[in-house]
Amino acid sequence: MHKKSSRSRLGTTWNHIKRDRQLLLLFLPCILFYVVFRYGPLYGLIIAFKDYSVFSGVLGSEWVGFEHFITFFTNHDFWMLFRNTLLLGLYTLIFGFPFPILLALLLNEVRNKWVKKSVQTFSYFPAFLSVVIISSMIIDFLSPNHGILNQMLAAFGFEKKYFLVDPGWFRPIYVISEIWANTGYESIIYLAAIAGISPTLYEAAKVDGASRFHMIRHITLPGLFPTMLIMFILKTGSMIRVGYEKVLLLYNPMTYDVADVFSTYVYRKGLLESNYSYAAAVGLFEALVAMVMLLSANAVSKRLGGNGLW
Amino acid sequence: MVGERKISWFGVINTLILALVAVATLYPILYITAISLSDTVSVVQGKVFLFPKGLNFEAYGEVLKNDTIPRAYLNSVFYTALGTFVNLLFTAVAAYPLSQKGFFGRKFFMTAIVLTMFLNPGIIPTYVVVQQLGLTDSVWALVLPNAIWTMELIILKSFYENMSTQIREAALIDGASEYRILFNIVIPLSKPALASIGLFYFMGHWNSFFLPLIYLNDADKYPLQVVLRDMLIYSAENDAGLVDRSALAPQSIKNATIVLSMIPVLLIYPFAQKYFAKGVMLGSEKG
Repeated sequence: MHKKSSRSRLGTTWNHIKRDRQLLLLFLPCILFYVVFRYGPLYGLIIAFKDYSVFSGVLGSEWVGFEHFITFFTNHDFWMLFRNTLLLGLYTLIFGFPFPILLALLLNEVRNKWVKKSVQTFSYFPAFLSVVIISSMIIDFLSPNHGILNQMLAAFGFEKKYFLVDPGWFRPIYVISEIWANTGYESIIYLAAIAGISPTLYEAAKVDGASRFHMIRHITLPGLFPTMLIMFILKTGSMIRVGYEKVLLLYNPMTYDVADVFSTYVYRKGLLESNYSYAAAVGLFEALVAMVMLLSANAVSKRLGGNGLW
Repeated sequence: MVGERKISWFGVINTLILALVAVATLYPILYITAISLSDTVSVVQGKVFLFPKGLNFEAYGEVLKNDTIPRAYLNSVFYTALGTFVNLLFTAVAAYPLSQKGFFGRKFFMTAIVLTMFLNPGIIPTYVVVQQLGLTDSVWALVLPNAIWTMELIILKSFYENMSTQIREAALIDGASEYRILFNIVIPLSKPALASIGLFYFMGHWNSFFLPLIYLNDADKYPLQVVLRDMLIYSAENDAGLVDRSALAPQSIKNATIVLSMIPVLLIYPFAQKYFAKGVMLGSEKG
């Protein structure tokens, strides 16, 4: 009896596959892509527990257990990387978070359509520029020889500053340029959220004699709160994945101590020094921390009564 | 309303702040354009602030004479065109089965796909896979490992889901195959969605520098961004006083290259803006 039903279930599955054979054939490239390039590397992670050499391949290389992890955790680089990654991420999160909201609030208060439209058009533009171009602009602006900032310092009688080799300036430069590049782009989301707030609330407030500031404080901001919460979780979750491309372009041996983050370290150790296994171990640690952060941020948000991401 | 006609202090200050924001975003771009159009002496002496000093097109002439940059430009155009095409094809073909309610294994596939957004093994294992497949030093190393962006796939799938199912059912009854339905009906009907995600793919390829940097060894194959990066590091070291190479002022040549690299972006920008905002919104909703 039991056997029969399981056979018939197998039969339905088979019929189902046969019925969907065209769709499945269309779907085949997608399956191949995810298996090879998204799940394949997960399998490749076992090299973090081996001494990988290109010649013996993933399977042929020798097992070494947690050796690479122990080397990493006992290395003084570990704390430096941990601190740098966390601080760059944290500063970008804390200082960068309010700007898109502020911009959206200000744009929302503009009555002149033309002003609103053109400010928006301009403020998105940096989102279309590559990190290489952005870094190049930073270097131009801060150049001690002809950079505009140093020109101004000189005009006011100050000494020239070598911003990019000064460890004290790396973090501010990184954070300020992130804000410059992302504010316009991120404000799109908040503007849309503001557009979703019911106009009747504003009309009622107006009848009650509320000023613009009152309306922003008591209607717009509370209306934005759920969006802010979601954005905050997303950003906390990706905090540890600091924009390593920009770090890679802006740092130099003089600023390694404050600028080196997990990803740039992985790139240097793994791809420049061909220390694949060690770098894979560092990368795995980074990925785990990132996942834990995203999961806990989501849990906190649910506890607060807001919506989680899932 | 009477109150709104009056010029309020709030309105004036607000407009001023926003004007400041616009200037702050635009100024760096105007500045590099001015540098690229100025003569070397003015650039080195730091006389350029907003308008080009000693207006000339020498830097552009140098860029075009030199064969590295035009070749890199063509490489970038080729990689971007091929990459975006592959992305759109893969995504469109993958999203269609996923959008069909009764599709075999749909739930399993969706879970497996969404899961990859959280399981990111990092660059080394991916690099090893690409290397073992023998893709290193070819365009395919830039195209295939990112043939589908999960977020874009989800966006397109939701778009297909919102399309009328009656069209498909009618076409099936008429004996059309799934391939015909997809390529002759669904894809033509989803042009706005494809334009929106295509834009993200386009920008991703045009601005990509890290992947070409790690996967391409042959300098002849470098795209523009990698060449720019080489100029950048050279001039950064120069500026920081780490390297003493005096006579040359690569500033104007570098900035001319940057301006040239922004041309495709500026060309699509008017269209881009509309779709870009839409894409950001969809992305954030499904996030």
